[in-house]
Amino acid sequence: MSDANLIIFLSTISTGLILGSIFALVAVGVTIVYGSIWMPNAANGQFFVLAALLGWTMTVSWGIHPAIAAILVIGVSVPLSYGLEYILVRRFYDVPNRNISYFVLSLGITQILTGIFAATYGRWSDQFQLPPLVSGITFIGPLPVANNRLMVLALALSILAALFALLRYHRYGRAIRAVFQNRDAAALRGVNVKASYSLSFALGNAVIFAGGILFALAYSFDLTVAWTMSITAFAIMIIGGPGSVLGAVIVGMVFGFTQAAVSTVASPTIAAFSYLGAMLLILLFKPSGLFAR
Amino acid sequence: MTPVTEKKDLSLLAKGHGLPLACFAVVAFATPFLLSGNRYFAFVAGVTMIHILWASGMNLLYGYTGLMPLMFAGLAGISAYTVVGLTASGWSFWLALPVGALAASISGIILGLPSLRLKGFYFTLCSLVIQTVVTLGFIYFSGLTNGDTGISQIPLPSMGGGQPLSGLAYDLVLSAAAVIGVIVLIVIVKSTLGRRLIAIREDDELAGMLGINVTGYKMIAFFIGSLFAGVGGALYAPYIGFISPRSFDVLISMNIWLMVAFGGRGTIWGPVIGAILLAPLSFLLQEYYTVKDILYGLLIIAVIVLMPAGIAGGFLRKKKESAPPLDVPATPRGAK
Repeated sequence: MSDANLIIFLSTISTGLILGSIFALVAVGVTIVYGSIWMPNAANGQFFVLAALLGWTMTVSWGIHPAIAAILVIGVSVPLSYGLEYILVRRFYDVPNRNISYFVLSLGITQILTGIFAATYGRWSDQFQLPPLVSGITFIGPLPVANNRLMVLALALSILAALFALLRYHRYGRAIRAVFQNRDAAALRGVNVKASYSLSFALGNAVIFAGGILFALAYSFDLTVAWTMSITAFAIMIIGGPGSVLGAVIVGMVFGFTQAAVSTVASPTIAAFSYLGAMLLILLFKPSGLFAR
Repeated sequence: MTPVTEKKDLSLLAKGHGLPLACFAVVAFATPFLLSGNRYFAFVAGVTMIHILWASGMNLLYGYTGLMPLMFAGLAGISAYTVVGLTASGWSFWLALPVGALAASISGIILGLPSLRLKGFYFTLCSLVIQTVVTLGFIYFSGLTNGDTGISQIPLPSMGGGQPLSGLAYDLVLSAAAVIGVIVLIVIVKSTLGRRLIAIREDDELAGMLGINVTGYKMIAFFIGSLFAGVGGALYAPYIGFISPRSFDVLISMNIWLMVAFGGRGTIWGPVIGAILLAPLSFLLQEYYTVKDILYGLLIIAVIVLMPAGIAGGFLRKKKESAPPLDVPATPRGAK
């Protein structure tokens, strides 16, 4: 393999890893919320961009250090989630077939946030870039990689690992998974179902926000990334199996590599076509997904 | 078995809708004359007529058959691009219109196929994916559609004498399309077809056991609903004079859905009222298009949360009691 090809190969791998871990984060956030409260959050892409834009305001306009800004942004998601949960989401917990009501509701939120972003940030800039977390460059073989992106990758992977540990070993995580599996039985065993609902809504959104701010730290972004992210996260959730965290991580990684590889050889539109095609096939022939619980 | 004799008398079919229909027709045909002094308002009224047609088609699918097709705007777009392409290559608009509408209908049947397997949220999600694919297709095949830039300066259709159909005459054509659309919907709803579609909406498994060909009727619903979308799209393109993938993207589908849900799905006049109230908004708020997005989003949430039956439904039905909470423990305890 010649040097140039090796560089392309390595850069595809590194981009794929970073994109894949961010896709996985967002998809895990969506799948946790869908698995527990049946809410297909179509606004995930807008939340993702909201996190990125808040990070941009904090770092570029206010001059806060990116690391502190990232923590603040993820912190902001908690009152936001609980507020939304209290005003809107809570009303439908006992409605049968509530997933379609939630879906339309989140499309409404999407439209509101789209309007707000276009009216505010859209007027200020087309392209947004955050200052890097850390400076410097590391050479992996012949390929120079910004330390900043390596840091983002490490953070994304450690958040995913922490999430796994939380869901598997901590009692709150176990309560969430119990409600995933059987709401009635979990309630009979003394799990506070409603508290677990609001907790998983907040947790899912916090993970989406984390994905957004990490993406913004690694790459420059514009407002159109919101809709692409929404559709991609849904595709990952459906293919991985709605409610399956492991499925979301694996498929998210696969999608990241696909995006990186297809974008180098063809165009991002082709990558989008391939996701959507895969999603349609899964929807039609195996709606429970590849890694169904 | 004795076959049930169906009464096919049209006056009976329109029973109960005669008076509102007459009022609507009078208003629809009078508006272009009344507004002929002000081209801008006449234009807004014309666009509203197209949206009435679209909302009636969406109502047939969403209100009467119980499917929420978010690729509705995409179907209108397929028709609009077909018509624009055909007229550009020398076809008469009046020949291209049925071809475009038929293209939309056939696409509607094909893209509606997932509805045979998927219900509720899964079908809606699937239709959202299809809409996204259609929008991407409009952008990607830029040889036919001129990509994101869109096609501008679409020529007006010509009348008999070779004169372009413009101003008042075009407005009247749109009014006629809206009135015919509503009449067709009334006839469908009052016929056996409409009753069977409602049966499918209420419970498609039960409807299938009662001997209703669910597959066939869903396809018929998609054919007719897409025909509405197609005729609207074909009339829309030369009227506005400009189409782009953004004219037929998912937000437009959501807006048409909102007109139906806000007005009252499953009623004839609810979606018409919804279209009359909501369609002009986007033009009156043209300077503040972001306000329109926010307003539409708030309305979507309000419809879902406060009035699932819409405006018309609120008059007709009593609000259903909300279901009692199912399985919430009486005393809040920490998760264990």
